[in-house]
Amino acid sequence: MRTLVLGLGNPLLGDDAVGLKVAALVRERLNGAPGVDVEEEEAGGLRLMERMTGYDRAVLVDAAVTGGTPGEIRRLTPDDLPTQRTAAAHGIDLPRALALGRQLGYPMPSEVRIVAIEAESVLEFRHEMTPAVAAAVEPAVAAVLEELAAAPPKERP
Amino acid sequence: MNRITIDPVTRLEGHGKIEIFLDPEGEVENAYFQVPELRGFERFCVGRLAEDMPNITDRICGVCPEAHHIAATKALDALFHVDPPPAAKKLRELFYSIFFATDHTTHFYALSGPDFVMGPDAPKAERNILGVIQKVGMDVAGRVLKMRRDGHDLIAMIGGRRVQPNWGLPGGVSRGITEAQRLEVLERGKEAVEFARFSLKLFDSIVLGNPVYVEMIQSDGYTHRTYDMGMVDEKNRVNFYDGMIRVKDPEGREAFKYHAKDYLEYVEERVEPWTYLKFPYLKKVGWKGLVDGKDSGVYKATPLSRLNASDGMATPLAQEEYERMYATLGGKPVHHTLATHWARLVELLYATERWVELGSDPEVADPVVRVLPKAKPDEGIGCVEAPRGTLTHHYWTDERGVITRVNLVVGTTNNYAPIAMSVKKAAQSLIHKGTVVTDGLLDRVEMAFRAYDPCFGCATHSLPGQMPLEVTVRDARGGVVERVRRA
Repeated sequence: MRTLVLGLGNPLLGDDAVGLKVAALVRERLNGAPGVDVEEEEAGGLRLMERMTGYDRAVLVDAAVTGGTPGEIRRLTPDDLPTQRTAAAHGIDLPRALALGRQLGYPMPSEVRIVAIEAESVLEFRHEMTPAVAAAVEPAVAAVLEELAAAPPKERP
Repeated sequence: MNRITIDPVTRLEGHGKIEIFLDPEGEVENAYFQVPELRGFERFCVGRLAEDMPNITDRICGVCPEAHHIAATKALDALFHVDPPPAAKKLRELFYSIFFATDHTTHFYALSGPDFVMGPDAPKAERNILGVIQKVGMDVAGRVLKMRRDGHDLIAMIGGRRVQPNWGLPGGVSRGITEAQRLEVLERGKEAVEFARFSLKLFDSIVLGNPVYVEMIQSDGYTHRTYDMGMVDEKNRVNFYDGMIRVKDPEGREAFKYHAKDYLEYVEERVEPWTYLKFPYLKKVGWKGLVDGKDSGVYKATPLSRLNASDGMATPLAQEEYERMYATLGGKPVHHTLATHWARLVELLYATERWVELGSDPEVADPVVRVLPKAKPDEGIGCVEAPRGTLTHHYWTDERGVITRVNLVVGTTNNYAPIAMSVKKAAQSLIHKGTVVTDGLLDRVEMAFRAYDPCFGCATHSLPGQMPLEVTVRDARGGVVERVRRA
């Protein structure tokens, strides 16, 4: 089974970098463990789908802005993303991108998990994260490792 | 149930808003759009080495990093007063043509395709790329994704790192390509030309073959007579990588033609009290507000305006399509906002032909791809046509090459005024007293907006790429009449 851990974010936009930082640490902790690729991605949409092609399982790590408490970590699936965005015309979001890949017969992961870290500041160019989000990095790494340790998904349909 | 409303999950989504205000009679009084704003870009850059700018600015946005990379690299040439060798210039333009073809493909099929292929009255759940594919066929989807994949592979092969290239240097590029790589570029380029021709045929049969669409394209609600801006070569043909900036007036006469380094003499930004967006306008014409016409300094910088601002295309097949478009739409210039989609496909064909032309030139595999800068840096301006409009990078440094000041005019920003005008006019033409505001109707308002391929990823230095949009209709007392959210 092949698993992809994909950190998402922009390294220049403060808390938006959290997904990238978590991914880098996960890579370090896994220390070359077989069957898991850890990568970073700065774009979304179709590119996400293209990156996940060929994997059985994917764990995405991203900052979220939901008005919650900065640093709060949530574990989601693509179905938890709001439906009003998925039934729409402009752009292509994650559930839509996955559906497209499957419809085209691409080998898409049968299981996609999202570790979302509530961000405080993603609208300002800076290298540093806010303290609450920086403090969430280690727990988020743990969350990703827990996801990886969980039972593997069934074989791809 | 574990359903959480996330607004927005960054990277997966960004956020835009259109607000439509009705007067006491129920007619549209005003319509505005707004997007989130990123802050602190200049502060972030000051104190860094100028050579880092191509790799910083290409991270501003996840949608067109290549455009920022090349504009920044050209700004470095100017900053260090160095002229790259011919192979480096050709290689940069080749890289850029591949990027352009890839980006225009994505926009047409994934972002604007649903408007035309499905139509605004199709059920909401079908107005997306999946609906498009069901209608045009799975094989088309496969071709679209192959085109994207080829583009990304070649961009990575030529530029190094995937997506954000680590490649451009003052005086050239960090490495060239081999003869074998050139042949691969050429081979894929030939397929890309066929794909672009196919896309134009698809547009013909789906859009031009449907009288409802043709009428909509030519209707007054989607028409704005403004100035047009675009980069041209020495024969006034469209060029994305280098040339002079040409501006034509709404009647199609050349108003200005200038070197990009003089942009501040021609373009100024207007600040309005009701929004933090700054509206660029033509300084020598003057700001008359968000209005059409020759006396108003509002200009557009879109695929359509690039075609309007030029005398033609530099490649044969694109030139044929250019002529056909103008013949069909009643001659130059064309001011129908929705014709921008057609112009984008003409540009797609040009980009693929240019890709083949440059890929056929043995000089792109020449190993001499850099001249070392010797002069002291001071100030430099670099300009390219980005898919969404003219992109200008302007840097100032001290004599060690450390950034002291930065100014960027990014593609979409050029179009803030016309986008605002287009949204308002479309709303005014569609919403009247007693109109039931349906989702399909609001989609038609959004079509005016989407034609610009607005990417607020870098325009406001905001969350890249995807842009969920919220459309709110308010009555004269500010109460919400209707609100629609969509991705």
